[in-house]
Amino acid sequence: MSAPITLTSSDGVEITVERAVAERSILIKNMLEDLGDSGEAIPIPNARLPRVLTTWQVNEAVLKKVIEWCEHHKNDPPTAGDDDDNRRKTTDIDEWDQKFMQVDQEMLFEIILAANYLDIKALLDVGCKTVANMIKGKSPEEIRKTFNIQNDFTPEEEDQIRRENEWAEE
Amino acid sequence: MSPRENSSGLSVRRRPSLSLRPRSKTAAHSATLPKDNAHGQWQDTSLAEVSDEYNALTVDDTELFPEAVPRRRAAKSFSSLRHPMDGLVALGRRLSVSVRNKSSKQSLRVPELEDDSECSCESGYFHHAVAHGSNHKRNAGPGSWAPRSRAWSNGISINRRPSLNSVSALQSFYAPTSSAPVPIPGHGLAPPILPNDKFAGSAARAAAAAQNEAARLESAKTERDLQKSDTRVKKDSESGIGIDLRDHSGRSFVTCVRIDPVSYLPAEISALVLSYLDPASLMDSESVSKAWHRQASSPHVWKHVFCGAYPRRPASSTATMKKLSVGLGKSIPNQDWKKMFLVRRSLEQRWRQGKAAAIYLHGHTDSVYCAQFDENKIITGSRDRTIRVWDAHYPWSCQKIIGSSTGDVTIDGPVNNPAQQATGKSPFATICPPSTPSAGIVAPMEHPSFYHSASILCLKFDEEIMVTGSSDFSCIVWGIKNGYQPIHRLIGHSAGVLDVCFDDRYIVSCSKDTSICVWDRKTGALLKQLSGHDGPVNAVQLRGDLVVSASGDGVAKLWNVITGHCVKEFISKDRGLACVEFSDDGRTILTGGNDKIIYQFDANTGELVHEIRAHSSLIRSLHLDSMNKRIVSGSYDMSVKVFDADTGELSIDLPGWTTSWMLNVQSDYRRILATSQDSRAVIMDFGYGLDGIELLEE
Repeated sequence: MSAPITLTSSDGVEITVERAVAERSILIKNMLEDLGDSGEAIPIPNARLPRVLTTWQVNEAVLKKVIEWCEHHKNDPPTAGDDDDNRRKTTDIDEWDQKFMQVDQEMLFEIILAANYLDIKALLDVGCKTVANMIKGKSPEEIRKTFNIQNDFTPEEEDQIRRENEWAEE
Repeated sequence: MSPRENSSGLSVRRRPSLSLRPRSKTAAHSATLPKDNAHGQWQDTSLAEVSDEYNALTVDDTELFPEAVPRRRAAKSFSSLRHPMDGLVALGRRLSVSVRNKSSKQSLRVPELEDDSECSCESGYFHHAVAHGSNHKRNAGPGSWAPRSRAWSNGISINRRPSLNSVSALQSFYAPTSSAPVPIPGHGLAPPILPNDKFAGSAARAAAAAQNEAARLESAKTERDLQKSDTRVKKDSESGIGIDLRDHSGRSFVTCVRIDPVSYLPAEISALVLSYLDPASLMDSESVSKAWHRQASSPHVWKHVFCGAYPRRPASSTATMKKLSVGLGKSIPNQDWKKMFLVRRSLEQRWRQGKAAAIYLHGHTDSVYCAQFDENKIITGSRDRTIRVWDAHYPWSCQKIIGSSTGDVTIDGPVNNPAQQATGKSPFATICPPSTPSAGIVAPMEHPSFYHSASILCLKFDEEIMVTGSSDFSCIVWGIKNGYQPIHRLIGHSAGVLDVCFDDRYIVSCSKDTSICVWDRKTGALLKQLSGHDGPVNAVQLRGDLVVSASGDGVAKLWNVITGHCVKEFISKDRGLACVEFSDDGRTILTGGNDKIIYQFDANTGELVHEIRAHSSLIRSLHLDSMNKRIVSGSYDMSVKVFDADTGELSIDLPGWTTSWMLNVQSDYRRILATSQDSRAVIMDFGYGLDGIELLEE
């Protein structure tokens, strides 16, 4: 049993977790391998997210949520890795993950960003599937309502898209 | 007669075998093969049969057809549309009850939080949320909620979940439900998530739902209250929360913070999200906004969605080398995956409607007993002792004749039976390409002894070889790559070779001599002879180490090709079997024969899964397309029928597309190839004329 790891959130809160838990994050795993067992707190640096905000950070609330997920999944067998097709085959989400993902949209997206940044593929997938399930089976207007999106199409453009997707015949 | 009644057949599985055996003897002969029919006689008999069976067919069709097709789809899309929203609301309601029961602590805490948002509670339930909230404040600067919120929502603050501040500010408004939980602290930026509390999100929803209900209950009062609360909100807007209560009372709303994921998440993650959608949802996503359209129409996303909608089966180790195209296109750069999906969707619509063109291959001068095709070529074998290779594309010309040509034919007389066609699906277009003059396409007869000296009864090919079986008692193995040169002749049977199949190790042939021969594919050496059938063995299929055979004695047998032992028997209720089909995964066996019933067995348990009764005469040929879940059958009733492989229900009836018995059927993603005793083969092309159909070729 190796020593526990202390993670520091962007807002300066230290959280101590088992190494196995922390290593669900490939980023942290690689960092640990690079740093060796120094026992030092690992700062989680900023990740740039140019499209929306200038900086994005894994703050304490998100980090705790991510750690909760990692705790629960620490004993999961390693996934088939980059077998994209296998990962994508289903949008089924196991029950625990479903509950875990019952958060508001901002937290959900923050978890996805954190999972992406920390390189936790399985969590990223669960998050993306959760969002996909929020979209599935909805009309464009329902999707707009769900995510508070402005329809910036002109009626002509909308018509054009509808025609493109119409049945080629019949 | 209705296929629906098939399930009842489960329990009635076997009639006493006493009646079965004696009859099978006679059936053996009648079911054996048309080879035994004098050429001149078939027309009379078959035509007589037709007129008798005509009525029965009509009943079937009118009953089954109109509803078999479209119903399923509509229901499906409807439920998938409705479910998520309703489910969420229902969930929220349910949860709100449970939260309400334990909420006293929370509602006590709330004012405290409201008074001092910077306070740090010592411990317990609220600790993290508060810390989180205050941290955010620190990050963003005091009172800076609004700018950030606006960044996401474009200044639209309606329909936000009411923040704690505003809610407590509106105590009077929500008074009747003050015992209900005030939402757990959660501003736009401080989601109501309590670390270590799995139910945090649901608590927020519950609170939201409770508020919704409260708001609705209070809708009568709101008019008056609104003004008051409105001003209070404005006062409160120091904290940056803008809530328009008019919206709250007016209509149902989502109280959660709503953020556009496509603008919030980086492009590659948005793409990942969208790639989990089904095609219909992805198309809806394209119409949401310009940003969504850009993301959702990317070929990368469409590739995943297409491949998700049409999963490629991993090549099964037990599958023979059928080399049937599944029509999923090529995985090449710049492939237009969305277009492929649209084409595929149109193609499937055509299958549901039974809408196909008929393309007739003229050239043989006698019954076409056997055929196989792939994306590029069609190979047919005939009673006229020749094998013909045809172009599978326009203009469907005959490219090669193997054997001594029997002279050119001209198209005379009808190619189909319009009266019969009227009882089912008739072709929307009929194409009769001119027969290719045989001069120049006949393979040179250097060694006439190398060719078959009698009818070609069966043939199979893969990328490298073709194997044919003949009434001359032998099989010939031909090279495909060397221009159909004979490689071996397999001699061992003592009567006509009725069917053949092979994989990368063995060639298996079956004969009227009641035996099955197993040959080495490479050397052509006879490895084993399986005996056990009491009648001619009309059909064989090979999957891994298992061979299934169907005999005129009315029994299908499963053999272990290594040991040569029969491991299982599947008995038809009545009379001889003419054809058998083994699913690619080796789990399903289909048999058909003289009793006009298609039997579907579980290969492992031997259990009879379905009995499909739809044909009115002997079932001569069966094909199972596992991927598209289609069973295709060809019968002496002159029809080709397509069934749903899961339910056994008739989905397409194609009667009278030729003028005589159907002898061989095979299908792939876009077409059925049927050969007939009237010396023609017909391509029933469901993809004919579809714009972009060539994208699906592999």
